[in-house]
Amino acid sequence: MTSFFNALPGAVAQGLIWGIMAIGVYITYKLLDIADLTVDGSFCTGAATCVVLVMAGNSVWVGLLGAALAGALAGLATGFFHTKCGIPAILSGILTQLGLWSVNLAIMGMKANLPMNVNNYKLLVSLRYLQEVQKGTRPFYQHPIFVVCLLTLAIIAVLYWFFGTELGSSIRATGANGNMARAQGINTNFNKVLGLALSNALVALSGALLCQYNGAADINMGRGAIVIGLASIIIGDVVFGKLFRNFGLKLLAVSIGAIIYYIVIQFVISTLSINTNYMKLISSLIVAVFLAVPYWQQTYTHKKQKEGKVC
Amino acid sequence: MLKLETVWKTFNPGTVNEKTALHGLNLHMQEGDFVTVIGGNGAGKSTMLNAIAGVFPVDSGKITIGGVDVTALPEYKRAKYIGRVFQDPMMGTAATMQIEENLALAARRGKPRTLRPGITKADREFYQEQLKILGLGLENRMTAKVGLLSGGQRQALTLLMATLQKPKLLLLDEHTAALDPKTAAKVLDATQRIVEKDHLTTLMITHNMRDAIAYGNRLIMMYDGQIVVDVSGEEKKNLTVEHLLNLFSQASGSDEVSDKMVLS
Amino acid sequence: MKKLLAILLTACMVLALTACAASNAPAAEAPKADAPAAETNAPATEDGKVYKVGICQLVQHVALDAATQGFMDRLTELLGEGNVTFDYQNASGDTATCGTIANAFVADDVDLIMANATAALQAAAAATADIPILGTSITEYGVAMDIKDFNGTVGGNISGTSDLAPLDVQAQMVKDWFPDAKNVGLLYCSAEANSQYQVDTVQKYLEDLGYTCKQYSFTDSNDMLAVTQTAADESDVMYVPTDNTLASGTGIIDPICQAAGVPVIAGEEGICDGCGVATLSISYYDLGVKTAEMAYDILTGAADISTMPIGYADKQTRKYNARICDALGITPLEGYEPIG
Repeated sequence: MTSFFNALPGAVAQGLIWGIMAIGVYITYKLLDIADLTVDGSFCTGAATCVVLVMAGNSVWVGLLGAALAGALAGLATGFFHTKCGIPAILSGILTQLGLWSVNLAIMGMKANLPMNVNNYKLLVSLRYLQEVQKGTRPFYQHPIFVVCLLTLAIIAVLYWFFGTELGSSIRATGANGNMARAQGINTNFNKVLGLALSNALVALSGALLCQYNGAADINMGRGAIVIGLASIIIGDVVFGKLFRNFGLKLLAVSIGAIIYYIVIQFVISTLSINTNYMKLISSLIVAVFLAVPYWQQTYTHKKQKEGKVC
Repeated sequence: MLKLETVWKTFNPGTVNEKTALHGLNLHMQEGDFVTVIGGNGAGKSTMLNAIAGVFPVDSGKITIGGVDVTALPEYKRAKYIGRVFQDPMMGTAATMQIEENLALAARRGKPRTLRPGITKADREFYQEQLKILGLGLENRMTAKVGLLSGGQRQALTLLMATLQKPKLLLLDEHTAALDPKTAAKVLDATQRIVEKDHLTTLMITHNMRDAIAYGNRLIMMYDGQIVVDVSGEEKKNLTVEHLLNLFSQASGSDEVSDKMVLS
Repeated sequence: MKKLLAILLTACMVLALTACAASNAPAAEAPKADAPAAETNAPATEDGKVYKVGICQLVQHVALDAATQGFMDRLTELLGEGNVTFDYQNASGDTATCGTIANAFVADDVDLIMANATAALQAAAAATADIPILGTSITEYGVAMDIKDFNGTVGGNISGTSDLAPLDVQAQMVKDWFPDAKNVGLLYCSAEANSQYQVDTVQKYLEDLGYTCKQYSFTDSNDMLAVTQTAADESDVMYVPTDNTLASGTGIIDPICQAAGVPVIAGEEGICDGCGVATLSISYYDLGVKTAEMAYDILTGAADISTMPIGYADKQTRKYNARICDALGITPLEGYEPIG
């Protein structure tokens, strides 16, 4: 068990990074009511863009910014397919994700894997820094958990402000009730595209952070990202749904959901002697349990009421 | 204020489900008119309202609101001139957003939406005043999510949202049909008050003949995508339900129906 | 009351997660748990120290499995049964999981990490600069670690073995077997880190030998069929490098190439067995063995990893596939052994 606790900081750091992606998915899934499958592709787009920019001699911040912009473009593409070509949202996302495979390869110079060696560049986050801060060779403010935590809080603050503005409120209205939004003069098509761009910008940002953390951008990154994003949202909702009502806190719950997910994965790897080939099965079972709990809660309460023991 | 000139609309043209909903419709409304619309099912009442609102483009014809030709404008651009209340209480508001947020959305209708804060303190005070008019106690629950309200309360809220900024045209699509009689009466009462206060040009669809006679200064009856009866002024005041029913069966029973048919 | 119920159920859920069989088992089972018990010239390890070795394998795959097996067998032999424990973790093809696995190894303070495949190496390298890391089944270390002017030694805490079979010899094989062919089709998977490099290098050699080459790439096993068909239609001979996706898809490639009458020269024995005519094979098992020998030297302090150059497979065997040669009516050349 001790090795699990030692590995916990790494799991939390990874969870926080994926949490940013999950927050991006939250915008499209919960606010706009669109299941956006672009994220499987735009995650890698962010990573690829960041690596290429940093290798060309720019600072990591330029890399992160470039990644976010690239992600926004991906979201724009999906929005274009959906609003201007009339393709249903899910299909639009799949189309973009499909096309992004080639785009991502092209960004990486037709290579499937581009390394981001922490020895060669000054990175914002890295697996390596975990140890070095613990050993004292790095100042605490370079610890990945600290850095990504600050970044997450900054993002939540910006989103909280944005969705309270007139424009942000109109985006929320677009997702809440499209008919009413149009009747109130809101250009729902424009808002959907904006929402998709914003969401994928965050996803790409998360990809850029992960490629620094893991030391490479790989074309296979991001496969299954939408599942992790949705799982984080749902886990966060199940655990904190009744306690966190404020929008900002709901976003925080999403991030914590991602952390919980990764702690569980780390637990499986570190502690259980199960063949890791079964890990995907275990992950799916865990997410299923989380998804089922609210339903079980409901059924249990209903049964109790039926038996006359109303709480 | 509103001009519909030979508006045609056919759904599913060329298929077995083809239906011509609007048959070269002509309608002219003056500013301040309160027109009630009645007719059987499939007469084209809702279709006419939706055509005016821009939910779908019309096949031919011209629609003018307040002198502006809106025929080619998409729904959200026309919303600047129009306030709408739908038949379904769920449709007019965003259930997951708060009352004050819904009102804020309505307050920006027709104006560009910027990055300014959605609701300011001054806004809140204004909304509270407006909600008091409805008399439903909603002014004390401004941060409650709309999904918690009853159907009648939501319709009243939708009505308020539709008229928060004085619209050029108010479209009411059987907005009390889904409510119980008591609540329906309350909402109609609120409608009357608001329309009178701001002299709004209103087009109200209703299935209730009594209401159609009692409210408004003009009554039109639709059949098969055309206006077959158009009564206003004194004549309308003296209408009875029986008389109206006769007119209705006459209009729907006869084969030749001209939209200029007006009772002598 | 309802709130209490909700909290209780949530707490139960969290507990259920942590209360899973909390066995403190030290090591996961190896893929095939039979270690050759031969006594060898292994010198005894100092005073019964048990070494912890973490193995991070990127994906389930015949060649990678063989390398892992060779590594474990030989290292157990050298250090002595009971003096080494392995923590074998498979990332199931998920590069992000490699990071989690590497993190676990570092947290567990293993004595050595064996990284099987490029993504595993990159994750391990990112995780630690202290624990020695030996890579295997990696073709080009300079590319994988982004080292400019790579001179054969990575340095730091990283070394390993490369599965690069000499590509110029492989190109020569094409010439030996099919001197009259004109067009060579180079088939590979664009998602594989090492395939592009192999194909580009082989192309240069083949063009020097006078062939016209064209590259055919597919993204994953879904479009493998269509791309292979096009390649078979347009080529006289095909070459496939050491490519994981290809290796698992030989069942698709073989019938297409046979139907088109196009012979395939494969970069690796497993692929040749499935769909190729001939190959210059290295044994991944032997590669694993060599890696184990390097690991032994590092663990016992006999060598310094920072100066250890990348090792290559010692033995290369020329092999041919009798079944496919028969089917295509090709007579095997001298100096080649049959596979199997």
